[in-house]
Amino acid sequence: MRSARTLASLGAAFLFAACSRSHGPVKIGLAGPFSEPRGVSMLHGAQLAVNQINARGGIRGRAVELRVVDDSASEDGAVRSAQALYDDADVVAVVGHLTSGASIAAAQVYGGGPHPVVMISPSASSPDLSGLSPYVFRLCPSDLAYGAALARLTRQGMGARRAGIIFASDDYGRGVRRTFAADFAKLGGTVVEEDPYIPAVYSFEPYLERMRRAGIDLLVLATERSAAEMALRELHALKVPWRVVGGDALAGIEAAGALAENVRLPAAYLADAPGERNAAFVAQYSRAHPGEQPDHRGAAAYDAVNLIARAVQAHGTDRRAIRDYIAQVGHRVPALEGVTGAIRFDSAGDAPSKNVVIGVVRRGRLVTDVTP
Amino acid sequence: MSRLDTIRVRLLGGLALLGCAVVSMALFSVYALRTVRLSQAAELETAQHSGEISNGIVTSVFQEINAGQQYLITPTASLGRQFRGAADESFEFSRELERTPDLTLDQRLAVNRIRQLQSAIEVGYAMAHTLKDLGREDQARVWAGAVLPPAAELTRTVRTLATEMTGRARRAERRLAALTGRWEAYLYVGLLATVIAAALVGYWTVESVEEPLQRMATAAGQLGGGDLRPMTTGRMPLEIQLLADAMRQMRDRLRTMVTEIVQSADQIASSASELSSISEELAASAGEVSTAMVNMSSGAERQRIELGVIGTGLTELRRATTEIGEAAERVATLGEEIGVVANRHHGDIASASTVLLDVREVVQTTSVQVSQLASQSTAIDDFVDLIRRISSQTNLLALNAAIEAARAGEHGRGFAVVAEEVRQLADESSRAAEDVTKTTNAIREQVEDVTATMAAGTAKVRGIEAIAEGAARGLAAIVAAVQQVEESAARVAHAAHRNREITDQLQRQAEQVASQSSAHAAGAEQVTAAAQEQGASTQQMAATSGELLQAAQTLRALVKGLRV
Repeated sequence: MRSARTLASLGAAFLFAACSRSHGPVKIGLAGPFSEPRGVSMLHGAQLAVNQINARGGIRGRAVELRVVDDSASEDGAVRSAQALYDDADVVAVVGHLTSGASIAAAQVYGGGPHPVVMISPSASSPDLSGLSPYVFRLCPSDLAYGAALARLTRQGMGARRAGIIFASDDYGRGVRRTFAADFAKLGGTVVEEDPYIPAVYSFEPYLERMRRAGIDLLVLATERSAAEMALRELHALKVPWRVVGGDALAGIEAAGALAENVRLPAAYLADAPGERNAAFVAQYSRAHPGEQPDHRGAAAYDAVNLIARAVQAHGTDRRAIRDYIAQVGHRVPALEGVTGAIRFDSAGDAPSKNVVIGVVRRGRLVTDVTP
Repeated sequence: MSRLDTIRVRLLGGLALLGCAVVSMALFSVYALRTVRLSQAAELETAQHSGEISNGIVTSVFQEINAGQQYLITPTASLGRQFRGAADESFEFSRELERTPDLTLDQRLAVNRIRQLQSAIEVGYAMAHTLKDLGREDQARVWAGAVLPPAAELTRTVRTLATEMTGRARRAERRLAALTGRWEAYLYVGLLATVIAAALVGYWTVESVEEPLQRMATAAGQLGGGDLRPMTTGRMPLEIQLLADAMRQMRDRLRTMVTEIVQSADQIASSASELSSISEELAASAGEVSTAMVNMSSGAERQRIELGVIGTGLTELRRATTEIGEAAERVATLGEEIGVVANRHHGDIASASTVLLDVREVVQTTSVQVSQLASQSTAIDDFVDLIRRISSQTNLLALNAAIEAARAGEHGRGFAVVAEEVRQLADESSRAAEDVTKTTNAIREQVEDVTATMAAGTAKVRGIEAIAEGAARGLAAIVAAVQQVEESAARVAHAAHRNREITDQLQRQAEQVASQSSAHAAGAEQVTAAAQEQGASTQQMAATSGELLQAAQTLRALVKGLRV
């Protein structure tokens, strides 16, 4: 029985080694909720990077190929898709996941077992992701940075005093809520209410009504975009003059039209960010996908694919070598000058050098807020 | 010393081997124990951790529900905070649970489910509380009621997961037990191998020591048994090799010594045997000397006797000579008387013829006597010859005795003096014999002269007879003839006188020879005694050399047992 299992594991190891081909395309896993609007830019950004690399002749003469798996932004989906990517011996690294909950759920899958594979999340901002595993990296700032930026914006820039928070009852929502509430209180504000939600909540009306009764001047939506839109609609019906801000997950809310006008959110990247490199990226992105602009997820996915390509260029397709290379980015190997800025990792897998900017929705576009 | 074939190297090598084996086994044991301990600790921690988390989740969710329900009855801020705190705590626990490594996909999905249920409970109560705050009791009850199924499922899921984790710990323990069993088997095998290696090393070492020692003992036994022949002890450890080399050197030296002893014994034996034969020869020589001396002694005696005979002969010769003198005197007297008669009486020629006839008879008698004397002198010659031979033989004997005495060395010195004396005696005897020969020759000449004279006298007597017969022829011729007779008689007398002197001298010499022979005999007796003494000494020497030979043979017999 045991020997059979040993044999099986030996066979698996052999197959794993055999399948890890040195010919054929270099496979990069891409995991996110690509059936949802928030996943589109990530997919497009990654694809753009892959296309550009292949147009240059690939890595070491080998083409780069994306293995795209949809995690539906759910923890279950993340665990399953992570397992699929982990088991694919050709996958040298993974770009993903998009959300904090999915990333945290998937992190232990990627970082465990005998053949761990590195994951680079473009946008999972939960503080709990920091140092979760040696194989976890992310290109966006954590909510610690976002929360602080948001607290400064609202308390100092907007003069808000009483805040109500609607947060998703998941890793992301709790992260934003926790960091914002702490910093806002530190700056002298009061968090009047913190109300959780899950998709089963079909209306925020009771929360909003109670907030109205309690008297707030700032609504913080630590939610994903669809819940935020629901909140904005109900808010509009209540006709209250609250300022509305959200977390980085709200990126894309600008597509909601007038409802989203003036909604502010922190971001490490905006399409109108200065710099030729970004301008070229945005232009190429728009050429490939007419009428679209990259968001921070797309830009970070673009940078992540290029980072992995550089690692493969330097050390081949060995998963561990790639992880070790990436861990040294900004230290022993030069930082990557990506479209989201210079990328260098700290020991927790975060890229702390990123500047957080505030974006505001103006006439259906998310632009850098220059008013405060 | 670069040789590895030493007991020390063997022992050190063996001990090092064993030490390595023991150390590696000890390391393996330590590694195994450490692994077991760490694995057990890890599993225990995991189990404890998962148990704590499970308890924490269930407890905090229970507190959450408790606070949530109470808030619905009496909505106070503190209950609201309690609820929120419990909810946050339960999420902390579930995040801990999520971080548990090496969960199966199903377990991860279960963790996700727990978190969803926690969210559902949290949101349900949050909404219920909001609605309660807004006075919408019915809606609040609906939301609160919706919490109960997730709560029940959460409890169930948590318990299931905890059970699975415990099961995992148990499986890990079983796996560990199996692993431990395997390691135990390895350890036993290693132990067995070490024991076998130890036994082999021990056997090898003992063998490497014992077998060369046995060879050494055999070699030493052979050495003790007297076998000194070179032998090879074969390859052996350096330490024993040193001993073997020392023993070989000892054996070589012993062999050399014994060889020398055997040679010496042989030499002694041969010398002793040579000495013995020399002694025998010496004894024989002494016997010969003794015999020769006896012979000499008897020869001297015989000489003495014969000299006595010579003396007697000489006495008779003297007497005969005296008689010749007297007869000659008487012839002279008779001649004178004839002269007187012739001168006075020419007539008495007949009577004178008769007297002449008497004279002729006397002459004839004398002639016979002289012839007898001549024959006597021949006997003297023979005797002198005998003496000369004896003295020559004595001389030879003395020479031999001197030579043998010289060979006998110190013992023969006295004997050499005697031999020299004997030789001188022999020389003197020889010289005396020569004198005698000369004298005898002289006598013989005289005797021949006398014979011739007497023959002439006879012829003259016949002439006288013829003259007397003629009577006429004159007395003068007779007187002249008588005078010639007288002269002849005087010469005869003179010759007889001289002969007498010579005979006396000869007699004295014979007496002297006799006395010398006596002395000679006495000397020979002395020599015999000395030779006998020497013979006794020689026999003693022969006995001693026999003893020496026997000792040498004993020595050889002793050494003969040793083979070289």
